Amino acid sequence: MIVQLNHLQKKSAASTTKEVVDTFYSLLEEGHIEQEQFARLRVQLDWIQYRQNFRECVMATRATSDVPQQFSPLEVHIDTRQVTPGSLREAILRTMGNAADPPLPGPEGVLLENFRSFRESIAWGFNRLYWHRLADWEQFTGRGYEQALPGGKSDANHPAAVADCVADFWTLLRDLENRKQLPEELFVMEIGVGMGTRSGLWLDRFHALDRERGSSYYPRLKFLLGDYSLATLERSRPAVKEHLDLCSFVVLDALNPLKNLAFLRHKILHIHLTNVYDNLPDEEFARRDGRLYAVQVRAYIPMADAQRISRHLEIPEAEIPGTVNRLVEGGPDYLSDRRRGLAFWQEVWKAMRLEERLVNLDDLPGISIPGDLRASQLEDVLAQAPSDVRFHLSSGALESFHNTLPLLHPRGFLQVQDIFVTNFNEYRLGFHGPGKLDGSIVNWVNGALLREVGERAGYDVHFAPFHYRKGSKTSILYTTQRE
Amino acid sequence: MLMPLPILPTTVVGSYSIPGWLERLKTEFYARRISRRDLDEIHDTAVKAAIKDQEVAGIDIITDGELRRDNMIDYFAERLPGVQIDHASKKFHYDFYDSKVLGKLPTAPLGLVDDFKFLRAFTEREAKFCVTGPHSLSKRIRNEHYPSEEEFAMDLARVMNPELKAIAKAGARFIQIDEPCYSGFPDDLAWGVRALNALVEGVEAKIAVHICYGNRYGKPSWEGSYQYLLPRILDAKVHQLTLEFARRGGEDLQLFRELPARFELGIGVIDVKTQAVETPDLVAERIRKALAVIPAERIFVLPDCGCLHLPRDVAFAKLSAMVEGTRLVRKELKH
Repeated sequence: MIVQLNHLQKKSAASTTKEVVDTFYSLLEEGHIEQEQFARLRVQLDWIQYRQNFRECVMATRATSDVPQQFSPLEVHIDTRQVTPGSLREAILRTMGNAADPPLPGPEGVLLENFRSFRESIAWGFNRLYWHRLADWEQFTGRGYEQALPGGKSDANHPAAVADCVADFWTLLRDLENRKQLPEELFVMEIGVGMGTRSGLWLDRFHALDRERGSSYYPRLKFLLGDYSLATLERSRPAVKEHLDLCSFVVLDALNPLKNLAFLRHKILHIHLTNVYDNLPDEEFARRDGRLYAVQVRAYIPMADAQRISRHLEIPEAEIPGTVNRLVEGGPDYLSDRRRGLAFWQEVWKAMRLEERLVNLDDLPGISIPGDLRASQLEDVLAQAPSDVRFHLSSGALESFHNTLPLLHPRGFLQVQDIFVTNFNEYRLGFHGPGKLDGSIVNWVNGALLREVGERAGYDVHFAPFHYRKGSKTSILYTTQRE
Repeated sequence: MLMPLPILPTTVVGSYSIPGWLERLKTEFYARRISRRDLDEIHDTAVKAAIKDQEVAGIDIITDGELRRDNMIDYFAERLPGVQIDHASKKFHYDFYDSKVLGKLPTAPLGLVDDFKFLRAFTEREAKFCVTGPHSLSKRIRNEHYPSEEEFAMDLARVMNPELKAIAKAGARFIQIDEPCYSGFPDDLAWGVRALNALVEGVEAKIAVHICYGNRYGKPSWEGSYQYLLPRILDAKVHQLTLEFARRGGEDLQLFRELPARFELGIGVIDVKTQAVETPDLVAERIRKALAVIPAERIFVLPDCGCLHLPRDVAFAKLSAMVEGTRLVRKELKH
């Protein structure tokens, strides 16, 4: 048995670890766990992510393969924050039962889908619903989504950070002007605009700087506010009301901005995104004993929660999966009474968990890696990574990044503020996410893979910690032209 | 016996699509997992395939696809005597080496003639040989000896000139000099043209100079207007200017309305920075725009730049569309 301790920060870590190890040994001695099972067990005791997540206190992940492997991985993940005194033994026993060979039908709960890649999970349907019906959600909960952020507000709107970004942009314009290469129209884009606060701050600051320095760049500015929610774009208008003549509001898919904006290929001088990549569909891979596995998930509602929801909202347990599908497709109004629909949405989202399994990549010949990364290139990257590592593929982020870079002017730069794992070794220090942030999904982003995609597209990718707010977990990714 | 050229000859700028497997094998070579001999053989095979693709697409003047080259700088930097290279400075084959010159460049054969002979041996089409020009080389190879970039470029031209003469002597009737860095450093143009002239002095072949806005990683390195070329580029002792017009929209064509009769114009009609394949009709339309500016007898048809960043099927489809579009216009010219 391998016990992996990466990130236990509390003083109680040692005693928790001891309790876990003692419990497994006693289960072995009592014959609840086979010697063979015990030998290939990997127990992961910590999990860096938001407190609200998709995990039970104890969950097992087993490997499946068309070709049975005698020593295929069997993993048990324990979220120590959820451990309550005396509950561990029972939770491990229950979970180990589900990890048996062959596996039992599933967790004790109501299944919402079959096993699939995380990016195809219904969890992302909830995420989409949240952004499309944000106003309903906020009205129901009585608080705005920014209040759900750690610290209660977005780092994106930090005035000093915005001022530095504007200064960098102004310097770029001056340099282009000195080289007689300044375009007539100066395109700038913000993707994922939220309430428009950052866009407004940026434009205010740029206007002021332009006046201070007498450069007359401001009137040539074409500022694009891009978001995939029309409702969000509407909400952002007041924040930029002083600059509306320069602004265009564009509905776009963050996964592929190029699709709507192909006419701006190689023309945008600066593109900025904050907290977008961490909210794009993702999937995960794991390398175990030299073999690469895709992590597949299936969403379920634990039985106790399903029973409670059924009683509270008078929906039979058997009808919960179908009702969830209708909710995700049609919104809360679909449940005849909006308030009841909203309550169902919140209850199901809060209770939803993800069961996991590992599937050998050899058994998934059709799997593709986004961002134009070839499997051989992924192997090259992984050659520098720890031998046993579980990591985000950050599919959505890679796709978005890959489809955004072609919009950049040859001298333009991209900035992305988000929560990044900047190299594979950081995965040794814990696995980061996914979690639930209010009604949305939040996930750490694999910066090492973004760097690889960037390099192949002609950009060096750098990460700078967000130093403007002490304790911030975010970093700023910025690109420079690769010669 | 070479095939005669039609009106509006079609050609390529130089590079052809680099297959993924070739990229992989080049990387394997740098990781010392395959030998130089094996890599040479792989290159020979890839070049033959590129030749065949161009022939089947119907290109009139073909190249070897430049598939032996990692990029437009290093292939020459490695051959230029006196250039020191840090072989550990490359992560991908396509990256530039950290190369520098610490003393005066000695003169020695660069080994490019064999590349041309290989191309000549495997095609009966007209063949073109492409060489990176001294201005662009001087921008990427670090100069730690010469008092100025201009003097470095002039000496590069001196060293490379005998090689070009040897290539011409080996049968090359068409040589293209690539100088994309003119667009990034327009203030250098006067001495850039002087270096170009020194490079091609006494070379018995049709000489084209290709000037684009860069194609590193399949994206432009600079933006601007070809206005900067005029009038200084007219001092160049070349026969043809080869420029990109497809991606940039063709407005700059008007700048060349008064191009002296001694110059031909190679017009880029294929955007190599997008994978969308042009239709023959679009190609024909672009050629007609050029015909409004310059007579057909002085026009060559080609992509904006090399096809190295395009997938093979896309590159082939684009070249085929270019040939088909050119045929449409040729028919119109006959009537």
